[in-house]
Amino acid sequence: MASLDRTARAFLLTELVSGFALTLKYMFKPKVTVNYPHEKGPLSPRFRGEHALRRYPNGEERCIACKLCEAICPAQAITIEAEPRDDGSRRTTRYDIDMTKCIYCGFCQEACPVDAIVEGPNFEFSTETREELMYNKDKLLANGDRWESLIAANLHADAAYR
Amino acid sequence: MPKVTIDGVEIEVPAGITVLQACELAGVEIPRFCYHERLSIAGNCRMCLVEVKPGPPKPQASCALPVADKQEIFTQTPTVKKARNGVMEFLLINHPLDCPICDQGGECDLQDQAMGYGFDRSRFHENKRSVPDKELGPLVKTSMNRCIHCTRCIRFATEVAGVEELGATGRGESMEVTTYVEHALSTELSGNLVDLCPVGALTSKPYAFEARSWELSKTESVDVMDGLGSNIRIDTRGAQVMRVLPRLNDDVNEEWISDKTRHALDGLRHQRLDRPYVRRGGKLVEATWDQAFAAIEAKLKGLDGTKVAAIAGDQCDAESMLALKDLMTALGSPNIDCRQDGAKLDGPRGSYIFNPGVRGIDSADAILLIGTNPRWESPVLNARLRKRYLSGHCAIASVGPAVDHTYPVERLGAGPATLRDLADGKLGFFEKLKAAKHPLIVVGMGALVREDGAAVLALARDLAEKLNAVRADWNGFAVLHTTAARVAGLDLGLVPGEGGRDVEGILAGCEKREIELVYLLAADEIDTKRLGKAFVVYQGHHGDAGAHRADVVLPGAAYTEKPGTYVNTEGRVQLGQRAGYPPGDAREDWAILRALSERLGKTLPYDSLDQVRARLVAVNKSFAALDQQAAGTWGIFGKTGALTDAPFASPIANFYMTCPISRASKTMAECMASRAHLMAAE
Amino acid sequence: MSADLIQFFTVNWLGQLIVIVAQCLAVTVPLLVSVAYMTYVDRKVWASIQLRRGPNVVGPFGLLQPFADGLKLVLKETIVPSSANAVLFIIAPMIAFMTALVAWAVVPFDDGWVIADINVGILYLFAISSLGVYGIIIAGWASNSKYAFLGALRSAAQMVSYEVSIGFVLITVLLCVGSLNLSDVVMAQSGGFWHWFFLPLLPMFVIFFVSALAETNRTPFDLPMSEAELVAGFHTEYSAMTFGLFFLGEYANMILLSALGAVLFLGGWMSPIPYAPFTYVPGVVWFALKIAFLLFVFSWTKGTLPRYRYDQLMRLGWKVFLPVSLGWVVLTAAVLQFGGWVPKS
Repeated sequence: MASLDRTARAFLLTELVSGFALTLKYMFKPKVTVNYPHEKGPLSPRFRGEHALRRYPNGEERCIACKLCEAICPAQAITIEAEPRDDGSRRTTRYDIDMTKCIYCGFCQEACPVDAIVEGPNFEFSTETREELMYNKDKLLANGDRWESLIAANLHADAAYR
Repeated sequence: MPKVTIDGVEIEVPAGITVLQACELAGVEIPRFCYHERLSIAGNCRMCLVEVKPGPPKPQASCALPVADKQEIFTQTPTVKKARNGVMEFLLINHPLDCPICDQGGECDLQDQAMGYGFDRSRFHENKRSVPDKELGPLVKTSMNRCIHCTRCIRFATEVAGVEELGATGRGESMEVTTYVEHALSTELSGNLVDLCPVGALTSKPYAFEARSWELSKTESVDVMDGLGSNIRIDTRGAQVMRVLPRLNDDVNEEWISDKTRHALDGLRHQRLDRPYVRRGGKLVEATWDQAFAAIEAKLKGLDGTKVAAIAGDQCDAESMLALKDLMTALGSPNIDCRQDGAKLDGPRGSYIFNPGVRGIDSADAILLIGTNPRWESPVLNARLRKRYLSGHCAIASVGPAVDHTYPVERLGAGPATLRDLADGKLGFFEKLKAAKHPLIVVGMGALVREDGAAVLALARDLAEKLNAVRADWNGFAVLHTTAARVAGLDLGLVPGEGGRDVEGILAGCEKREIELVYLLAADEIDTKRLGKAFVVYQGHHGDAGAHRADVVLPGAAYTEKPGTYVNTEGRVQLGQRAGYPPGDAREDWAILRALSERLGKTLPYDSLDQVRARLVAVNKSFAALDQQAAGTWGIFGKTGALTDAPFASPIANFYMTCPISRASKTMAECMASRAHLMAAE
Repeated sequence: MSADLIQFFTVNWLGQLIVIVAQCLAVTVPLLVSVAYMTYVDRKVWASIQLRRGPNVVGPFGLLQPFADGLKLVLKETIVPSSANAVLFIIAPMIAFMTALVAWAVVPFDDGWVIADINVGILYLFAISSLGVYGIIIAGWASNSKYAFLGALRSAAQMVSYEVSIGFVLITVLLCVGSLNLSDVVMAQSGGFWHWFFLPLLPMFVIFFVSALAETNRTPFDLPMSEAELVAGFHTEYSAMTFGLFFLGEYANMILLSALGAVLFLGGWMSPIPYAPFTYVPGVVWFALKIAFLLFVFSWTKGTLPRYRYDQLMRLGWKVFLPVSLGWVVLTAAVLQFGGWVPKS
């Protein structure tokens, strides 16, 4: 009987029909796609997007040129040069991130002792040329200024788990 | 030989050493901060605690405890571990948590040992101690909050450098390392404080925040700032030399280097020659190698060899000097010299090297310094002399300039007359030398660069022979060179050939227009005004005196940028390695000479560095044995003659600026200003 | 006046030419527009099946997307690989595209709405669709690239294989109709959907549809273009409008085979229910709806089935479809002969 059953099913294309029925059913289900530019999905506070260099509330840049991010960076995307600033404090004269090399692993923000370099919530930073993705200190600080409120909120939200 | 048991392993150790040293012999690492094998024992950091049986029931500081026979030493017990953890926690109580901004970060003893013995959080909730930073001059940056009071710096300054300027005030938490009256350290070895400091309290000021230890590529090389040939490690990042550190070599520099060696490196970044230049219409204009060679070729065409002369500089590697010598021979010129200062040295090898070796200083028991100020001519060697003085039973006297040697020196007189009196046995010190088993006579360049240099040399030889200082088992005749290239130059015979002219003769010839072309191989220490109308080819790495006068400039490599052979004042052959590449179009020096020779149709018979080095050995066998001091042959040298009355003066008037590199260095200029300020204050 | 006009358009050669060109345009232009929208529908259907949205940015509901794509293809540079045979390389897509279009000459859109109402319509179709293979073979060979070549070989083998079973399917229909004229085939099915051939010849209809999938290199038979193995198959080296012609030709072929399916099995322009008000709807609309339905099934299939392995594809063609269709030809002939239903003509 089993073989008859199997043969009958094969000749009557039951598998095909059930497959087609399934896809047809799905065709009328609600779409799950987010209509991206107009609506956006939720982001975790731990989201690792575009980098930013933060400042203290008094405007002083946080980065102290310890170079730990440069050392930890597995893609060697970060280049730092440092020298004493006029007031004697340790500061970077150059802080470059090659965003084309970066793999967004977040090690830099893990390594940073002063929460200066962070990967912010911004992921919409595509450019028309490669050169624009070679971020320098000015660009990173500008990012920090632009996203500070969100970054600070994210860090606060995640602080308990770090 | 006591037998001790360390962690259950029995080992026989020399008598009189400490438990810590015994553990090291057994291969057991003991953590320490204050203990340093070249400094006296302080025993104040308490990090090296071990348990010892028989002994008190508490852990003992192993650095200060002598070994005894049948001693049992435990380094890994829970008690020891707990004791060290406790010490570490106490050290960290007041140590700021500023590793990210500390230059010692990454090579910090405290960091490393905290990994092993540190607690993962702080139980200290009070305020940390705050200590004002001290000003220790242009080379040492202080951050005294980080100090853990190991007193290594104090002991170094007092014992090795011989300047009792650092000390501690207060006790316990109030203890501060200070100079009492704020002033820069007046030693030429202050850079070593930075190496010694186990934490980041003393860091290098010129190197402040420039690089991290893990970013640097390390190249082991040899220093050319003075004649000692200190073993150094060149740390580079990318193309730039970031710092120079000493390398351990007990035969040469132990583990110290002078401030010039360490900090003149910023001179390598300035005033570099990075492309050939040719003088057109009275001005040096940029040119290609081809144009530069063409200019030389045009000048040399039809020129008699005797009208050509060459002078080798003070920091040249042996390879380039050999190529220069071979090129001059090929051109038929006997006019070649490597003694820019005019030192009257061209005798057998024994007449121009530091025969007993630097290590020989340790066994000398009477030392005579003739016409030298070793503190400026070779600060590390001076520290060795001081070390010999400190170990006692050694009389030291000098004939020469009155200077502070950092150890007591009986000054016999100032000039050759005193030396003659001494040689004639008229002075009391003669008897001390005579009685000594290992008398050491150090002849400085100050005694030899004079008109009567040959006569002084003969007198010194006479004295040495009278004292029986030159024997089969001991040769106490020592020439202290001030330049890194001199011994190699003399070894390779860069002295005037048959009928040739020495430096003085060449300059005089230029003035009289008897010399038409002068080849300066990085020679900047001559009076370039006397070159007259001669056509000057300058090959070197810095735009210094020679390049300014030159008609053709060929850019060469500085010592960090080429593999080179150097012979130090002892006659020890050492290899320098390339740490980076010369800037722009500049090339290795021997290769430039080789290329020029081909252009001139006198191709030198070597195409690779290996072949040049083979030729070095062929010319002088002493080049075959690396890192060894080949014994100097003895003979009759010097020229007995009239002595003048002029007192001996050290050829180094300014320690901080002796070569194109140090002259281009901003750091050295700061040091000079600081020292001048210090002198004025005194 | 009107007699003159009729005279002009029926007798004068220039008038006849104008009529022919007009007829061609009347078929081709809507066809190309349908091709364009077929791509849009394809993408929308797949997107729906995968719970996605599909193109929705260019124009309302993304309706202008096909034109944007077309514009892109037109504006891109036509690259001829340096090692390719340039002449054949350019000609190949033209052949593929042309054969897909000329077949439409014999397709009846409504009663009498056919450019060439020839009596060997089916044979003509068969001949033209066989020619399509040449475009692909030439493209693969002229590209001088291993991917293109392998893709072309697969494609040719596949098309040849399935054409055999399509042939037998057609023969069964011919047996039932007794004519090679496509209009006659439709007329033979008049009188409501219960007279359409898809009911008595259901296995043949299934075989026809599956073979049509294979013939047009559609999923699950899209091995010639399998991206993973052949980086797009025979048109790997093609770009811009040369690629565009292949693309258009392929979709035109799909529509053609859907039209053929509609003509052969779904009663062509006939209304499914032969009573008012359904008969008020013009035949061409019914025809278009039937084509649209079949095309939807094409897309649906692509959204549902995974790709066959090559040996499975060949096995299906030669070991299943060929014997089954052959058997069904014999069976049909026997039933017609002994049931006394042989059509008279």
